[in-house]
This record gives sequence, structure tokens and C-alpha cells, in this order.
Amino acid sequence: MNQDQATQSGPPDDLALIDRVLAGDARSFEPLVRRYERRVFRVTLAVLGNVEDAEDAMQDAFIKAFRHLSQFRREARFTTWLTRIAVNEALQKRQARKGMVSLDDSRGVEGQSEERFMPRRFESWRADPEKLYGKQELRRLIEAAIQSLPAIYREVLILRDVEEMSAEEAAEAIGITVSALKSRLLRARLMVREALAASLEQPPTLGKKMLHAAGDMGTALAMRLMRAAGK
Amino acid sequence: MMECKDVLANLSNYVDGEVSAELRMALEEHVAKCRRCHVVFDTTEKALKIILDVEPFEVPLAVSARLYTRLEKILSDA
Repeated sequence: MNQDQATQSGPPDDLALIDRVLAGDARSFEPLVRRYERRVFRVTLAVLGNVEDAEDAMQDAFIKAFRHLSQFRREARFTTWLTRIAVNEALQKRQARKGMVSLDDSRGVEGQSEERFMPRRFESWRADPEKLYGKQELRRLIEAAIQSLPAIYREVLILRDVEEMSAEEAAEAIGITVSALKSRLLRARLMVREALAASLEQPPTLGKKMLHAAGDMGTALAMRLMRAAGK
Repeated sequence: MMECKDVLANLSNYVDGEVSAELRMALEEHVAKCRRCHVVFDTTEKALKIILDVEPFEVPLAVSARLYTRLEKILSDA
């Protein structure tokens, strides 16, 4: 196998395993599953929003990939092909579950309204939230915050900021333009920040609150406030 | 200087390092002087870092086990 093939199709191991499966060694598919289990799970969860449905879609995606392995074209990376299958399985499941396409899910809608998302919380965050919450609890907080996002924002956030796919990969996986992806991602990031802020902000002292309010409102009003508080 | 709403519109690209040097300078100039934008930029970056650090949405053990059980049947029949 030459270098070009390796860099184009991902780690050489993927192709070697695929070759073995196609030659009749079905069990060589299992290490491929282990390698991409988390990717497929996160992608189906991103689209479906709950673990139970994601589990079903994940199983179906791997089985479909196994059955159609001879159709995988080596110009693309295996992970890209597999991700596409996983997204399609998840979308089909979502469609079937709902019975009709809502505006929220529509592939045609490039983003919600043109309204910008306005942050409302402006306090700094604690330096080390893990000290307060512990890693398990912090993970639960993060997961809950991400799950609370509307579907189209949850999707892009998980693909980009949890699974760390590139913008191009992520856009291609869910079938939107890179530009639409970036626009949704901005909003998704602002929303998740907002969802986490309550749990992660440093508790502000009264003095600090007043100082911040003052800075935001202007000096004259600030002075009135401070006089009223006896400072 | 840039307005807050325009600065915010570039937040995501800035975090990804996808703004021109010129725009980056303009954004950083604003953020240095505007408390609210500073906090939003800072806490967004923090949020993304924490999200990666905690490794959310790992495959639950039971889910993984059921996957391999189902696969086992299919691979052994193949």
C-alpha cells in the first residue's frame, strides 16, 4: 500500500481489515466496530437526542456497513462513509418516529430565523469547576446542557465540539453547506454557554454586581447606586 | 470600533482560528475594552474546553455489550 492511499483512506489498518472481511473473514469486521463505535454512537445520538434510539440506529448502521462493505469506494475515508450511513439511519429513524417532518428537523431549512442569539449572562466562570462538581457530575451537567439544545444545534455541536469533526466533514455528514454549519455552530455554542452559565459562574459578591451594573449603565447612575448603598 | 453584535457574530470563527489577522485584531481590541463581550468570549472558550475535557457521550457499557451480541450472530452467520 503506498503513502497516498494511506493518507487518503485513513489508517492503513482500516483497509487491511476491510480486505480481510471481503475475502471472507467476517470477524475482521469487529475491530473496525471497536474503532468507530464511539463515533457512530455520538453521531446517532446527535441526530436522535436519546440513548435508546441512538442504540438502535447504531446497531443498524454497523450492520448496514457490514452488508454493504463491497460498495465502499476507497477514494473516501472509511470513517466518512460509515458516518454517512450512521446519519442516514438516524434520520430515517427520526422520520419514522415523527411521521412527518417538522420545521425543526427539516433538512431544507438552513437555520432558524435570522434573529441573532443574545447572551444574557455576563458573569465570569469559576476557574476550576471540577473541584466543585467532580468529573462525573460535571460530565452529566455538560451532557444535559447539550441535550437541551434544539436538534439542529445539538447536532452541529456534537459533531464539531464533541466528536471534533472538521467543518467540512460535519457539514457533509448532515447534508448542509459549510456556511450553514458555521452559522448554526455559532448559535449552538452561545446557547450551550448560556445553558452552562448558571452552574459554572463564580458567585458574584454584591459589590461586584453593582460594579458590573455600573460599568454597563454609565457613571452617573453608578454613583447614585453607590451612594444609595452607603458606599 | 466594532459593535457588540458584529463582534459576537464572529465569535465562533474566532474561536476556530478562522478570521483574518485584521479582523482578529479588531475583535481583540473590542473585547479588551468591552466587559460583556470579554466575558462571552472567555466563557465560550471555557465551555468548549470543558466539553472536551469531560468526554461526554461515551458509549454506555450495556449498549456496547448489546451491540457485540447482535453483531456476533450476524458475523458468525456470514
